[in-house]
Amino acid sequence: MNFVVPDFAPAVTELFVAGMSLVILLLTVFMRESARNIGYVLTQLTLIVAALLTIFTMDGQVRVTLSDMYVDDLMGDVLKILICFSVITALIYGRGYAADRGFDRPEYHLLALFSTLGMMVMVTANHFLSLYIGLEMLSLSLYGLVAFDRDSARSTEAAMKYFILGALASGLLLYGMSMVYGATGNLSLSGVAQAIYNQAAVYDGVSSKTVLMFGLVFIVAGLAFKLGVVPFHMWVPDVYHGAPTSVTLMIGTAPKLAAFAMAMRLLVGGLFDLAEHWQTMLMLMAVGSLVLGNIAAIAQTNLKRMLAYSGISHMGFLLLGLLSGVVEGDRFNALNAYTSSMFYAIAYVVMSLASFGIIILLSRSGFEAENIDDLKGLNKRSSWFAAMMMIIMFSMAGIPFFIGFFAKLSVLQSLVAADMVWLAVLAVMMSLVGAFYYLRVVKVMYFDEPVDTAPIHAASDIRVLLSANCLAIAFLGLLPQQLIDLCQLALVASFQG
Amino acid sequence: MSEMQNLYLVVPLAPLAGAILAGLFGKAIGRTGAHVATILGVAVALFASILIYQDVQAGNTFNGTVYTWATSGNLSLEVGFLIDELTVMMMLVVTFVSLMVHLYTIGYMQEDPGYQRFFSYISLFTFSMLMLVMSNNFLQLFFGWEAVGLVSYLLIGFWYTRPTAIFANMKAFLVNRVGDFGFLLGIGLVAAHTGSLDYAEVFAQADALSAKTIELFPGAPWLLISVICICLFIGAMGKSAQVPLHVWLPDSMEGPTPISALIHAATMVTAGIFMVARMSPLFELSETALSFVIVIGATTALFMGFLGIVQNDIKRVVAYSTLSQLGYMTVALGVSAYSAAVFHLMTHAFFKALLFLGAGSVIIGMHHDQDMRNMGGLWKYMKITWFTSLVGSLALIGFPFLSGFFSKDSIIEAVHFSTIPGAGYAYFCVIVGVFVTAFYSFRMYFLVFHGKERFGQAHHDHHGDHDDEEPSDDHHHGLAPGQKPHESPWVVTVPLILLAIPSVLIGFFTIEPMLFGDWFKRAIHVTASHDTIGQFAEHFHGAAAMAMHGFTTLPFFLAMAGVVLAWFFYLVKPEIPAAIMRTFKPLHTLLDNKYYFDKFNEVVFAGGSRLLGQGLWKGGDQGVIDGLIVNGTARTISLVAQASRLLQSGHIYMYAFSMIIGLCVLLSLWFSVV
Amino acid sequence: MEFKTFVFYLLATVMVFAALRVVTVRNPVHAALFLVLTFFNAAGIWLLLQAEFLAIVLVMVYVGAVMVLFLFVVMMLDINIDRLREGFWSYLPVGAVVGVIMLAEMVLVLSGPYFGLDAMPEPPAAQAGYSNTRELGRVLYTEYVYPFELASLVLLVAMVAAVALTLRKRTGSRHLDPAQQIAVKRADRIALVSMPAEKE
Repeated sequence: MNFVVPDFAPAVTELFVAGMSLVILLLTVFMRESARNIGYVLTQLTLIVAALLTIFTMDGQVRVTLSDMYVDDLMGDVLKILICFSVITALIYGRGYAADRGFDRPEYHLLALFSTLGMMVMVTANHFLSLYIGLEMLSLSLYGLVAFDRDSARSTEAAMKYFILGALASGLLLYGMSMVYGATGNLSLSGVAQAIYNQAAVYDGVSSKTVLMFGLVFIVAGLAFKLGVVPFHMWVPDVYHGAPTSVTLMIGTAPKLAAFAMAMRLLVGGLFDLAEHWQTMLMLMAVGSLVLGNIAAIAQTNLKRMLAYSGISHMGFLLLGLLSGVVEGDRFNALNAYTSSMFYAIAYVVMSLASFGIIILLSRSGFEAENIDDLKGLNKRSSWFAAMMMIIMFSMAGIPFFIGFFAKLSVLQSLVAADMVWLAVLAVMMSLVGAFYYLRVVKVMYFDEPVDTAPIHAASDIRVLLSANCLAIAFLGLLPQQLIDLCQLALVASFQG
Repeated sequence: MSEMQNLYLVVPLAPLAGAILAGLFGKAIGRTGAHVATILGVAVALFASILIYQDVQAGNTFNGTVYTWATSGNLSLEVGFLIDELTVMMMLVVTFVSLMVHLYTIGYMQEDPGYQRFFSYISLFTFSMLMLVMSNNFLQLFFGWEAVGLVSYLLIGFWYTRPTAIFANMKAFLVNRVGDFGFLLGIGLVAAHTGSLDYAEVFAQADALSAKTIELFPGAPWLLISVICICLFIGAMGKSAQVPLHVWLPDSMEGPTPISALIHAATMVTAGIFMVARMSPLFELSETALSFVIVIGATTALFMGFLGIVQNDIKRVVAYSTLSQLGYMTVALGVSAYSAAVFHLMTHAFFKALLFLGAGSVIIGMHHDQDMRNMGGLWKYMKITWFTSLVGSLALIGFPFLSGFFSKDSIIEAVHFSTIPGAGYAYFCVIVGVFVTAFYSFRMYFLVFHGKERFGQAHHDHHGDHDDEEPSDDHHHGLAPGQKPHESPWVVTVPLILLAIPSVLIGFFTIEPMLFGDWFKRAIHVTASHDTIGQFAEHFHGAAAMAMHGFTTLPFFLAMAGVVLAWFFYLVKPEIPAAIMRTFKPLHTLLDNKYYFDKFNEVVFAGGSRLLGQGLWKGGDQGVIDGLIVNGTARTISLVAQASRLLQSGHIYMYAFSMIIGLCVLLSLWFSVV
Repeated sequence: MEFKTFVFYLLATVMVFAALRVVTVRNPVHAALFLVLTFFNAAGIWLLLQAEFLAIVLVMVYVGAVMVLFLFVVMMLDINIDRLREGFWSYLPVGAVVGVIMLAEMVLVLSGPYFGLDAMPEPPAAQAGYSNTRELGRVLYTEYVYPFELASLVLLVAMVAAVALTLRKRTGSRHLDPAQQIAVKRADRIALVSMPAEKE
């Protein structure tokens, strides 16, 4: 009956962001129309402070608080910081774009802030409930953002699809969670893990294993929807294509980190004892994503759709890291494998930010530079940004020595270490197929005559940040080890023991 | 020690910074800015190298990682430096010659529109070369190796509007790929059998390696160490232009002259020599590989010298003499006289850079006419160039007391003492080579600087004999009738003088520590039975004595005979060479066609690969690959794309349905599992 | 059969039937009404489980508020039901197969021994004075305060999104802003014009 007030200190970042979002909401309601870009400024400030708060409170300790629902560990902290920076970057890129199209309203930034809060909650969740609610907060904000350009029929349709399919996926996830609850009597992830371990030890484990597996399938399906892997990928191209590019930028970046965290919390944190089962499920989905993503991307003429399919194949690659952790019950190499996945997710987010950033850069009011043909002769219009785009494409294709190469390499290494050579071979072959459409973009930029000869005009903050982003891709390719070490450190500190 | 480590980093990074400045911001900083930036970079590198030299002399060597790039399993890819006596000597040579060439370029390229680009390239080259020599592991070595190759490719094709230049750089590129393939195989074998790419770790396992065998063909075991060494040496053959992979070097003269001096004479082409010397602990274990090295080197030394005799292009003569001298170095490697090879590498770098820059100065004076038949009597007009070229030529032919004498004679003596199979043939080649070297060197010298003034007349117009690679056809300005050549500006002549000084002196002062002292004791490993230099040392009583003795030896007489013969043929009786040419027409044709190496390559390799390509194209590619795989793949892909487009219909219930089906499949699969 | 069991099966049967009718009837108003029936039955089942508070909330919120709103929307919009049902029959076979497989699997899992009284023993009977509602309130504001507060934020997000997507200032609509009316000054309405006196 006695209730002890929980320790709020570890959750200070989330509390701060939640509080600030309410403050911003109230402020912007009472602000005059002209002073409303204060919403943007405050949102950015909040995100920066949140990142700094996380950085300064970061240590290697694992602390569980708020009645077992919140866990503060190094993986969560690292991902939270990256999510903040990713959203900050996405907002900077997208601001001019949104303003040109007249949906640069305070609610736009507010929803972005709420989605960030949702991601933070997901990343730090130690409980089915908090995980699910974080996911819903993220999803709801994103549905709203996709439809934000409300006069565009395409955006509205995309939002509708995203909403309905997302609701279906949420249903699946929730159903799976309820099944696991039924089998273990626990909603806390660490409790679930303990219960499964105990059952395996005490009972024969058969009885509730069926129920567990039943729940596992549904959970994996819900997870797969969030990651956007085959066959739960159908929303990805339509939503990426239909959403305003500034929103696509937000959907295609930070939520992937959150989805990775969700996979780690659910599968590794909660259901690790079922690893051999979910690994096989992930394998089927990874193979499907690699094949379908890369091949379908070739057929695309729309850059956003192409990047959507490429995103599907990248998520397939990410799964490859997750599924190579446990080999025949041997968990020795698991953290290395998950490290490669985390590194891949981070690398993908950095590349994805830059690639959609280029689309935004080339767009202007009344014109969307979203077809591959719009990149024709970019070299003649701006050789600097053509070079930047080339870096992105090379990196995505996995050409040495950009970050994408090392991301692929580390995943392939974990596959080989897990004796899944055929998967590695398939992944390499599909990367080669993928290289085709990335290089086609480069070819179009350098060897075709420009169709659109309008000069590029974009705010200098976008130019500088985008250049820095692209150079980071190249630079991290030269110094990948530090980032890999960071991922490894984070996972070891969070999941060791 | 960490201060020294920073200094080590400064050496390659300073030229890199210069290259980046001049390359990316060339327009912004202008011509003056470009050369100031790059020259400053190289000068800093030279200065740092001198400091490191003093440090090494004090006994402080270094072998360690400065930066780990990525760890891949047990194999770590890192950037590391190995600073010892060999490295520091190479660093000094590279930075010094590079600095001279940078200065010289200001004058040579002053009218060229690609001025900044050129400076950026040569600084980039300096960076790459320094990375190569300072490396402590195979990966970085390979990086430097490829990077210098790349810059060389870019620079040979510097005047990219000339078709001959493009042909030449393509050729250099392809031939070097052959060598690199061997090199990469060698590195791969090393990595596979030792599990390390670090020099020190590999050398520590060298003895274990020598016990292993490898079956290249079933039933025929080879000593692993021999295979590794020969593979590595094939890499060296490509880079250091040894027969039969030498064909690219003469054509590389299409590049601007400063490049010929820096890359294709003094530094890059010696990378192969340096690499073999660095790998001495491996090569010492394989007599087979050493024999192979000797035979290739000796053949190059002699037969490439012959070709120098029939060339009319001033740069090509120097190019063939470079080939021949590289042959000498290779022979020295083969007889385990690594220190002599490196010693010759150093002296050669100075006097050959001098000769090339002298040739360049002549070319400037002649307004970019390179044909020696249009020159003659230049000594009156270009006093400094004339004198320094004379010094360079004397050094090249090994006139006693000049630097070339010490290094070349040491090699000849070392070959004399060697007992490795092939040493006899090599001894013959190097001895005859002395005569040939003297003959073509002074043929060039007399044709250019003495005799009748043939410039300012109508040009010789028969390029028909080998017009496929006659350089600068569209670049022939030449002197107008009545125009006189004039001495080059100071930025050209100062480097000549600065290079002439070491060409004269350096051999005399360094032979004792480098060959017989313990300067290379730590860097180079020689087994006792191969120790030809040690045997030579017993006969050595100081540099002066060796030089005095030099006046009485066979090589000296041969060299003098060559000089006298050249004088007689080309100054006294110029009709004789023509008569000989007519009499020995087939021989001349053979030489003029460079032993038909190019023809052979063109017909057999290029033609053969074209044929093979045709066959593969028609049969394999169009039939199998295009028909079945590519078009098949394309068809499959378009089918899949069609199918996915059908599924991706935009109808939401289709999407939801596909999710449900996916779920259903997963569920069913796991029900059959559980 | 115990009476409670009988009631459960009755409610369950009606609920499943009503749920099926929601997706099969042609008239959308009927469909909405069947959904109301479904909710009522669900509420009944919760009552059987002694979750009175939840049962009442379900009736009040879903039946009383959500569904009424829904009915209004359905009645006001002219939905062409036949166009929506296009292709229903052509997809039915595949859909039916998948549905049956899923159903079979779910039945296998849920009806197996895993959820029987052996696996899940009945909870002890509640003491006298036990209040379901109070217990719910207690955990909601103590143990579950974190997800509870977050859920409120989720609702806020939904509100913000809905307002942002639908609120727009219409141009041309005839309505008056009282604040503006009150703030009117004399100068806004009356212009004094000085004119020279006109002579006849």
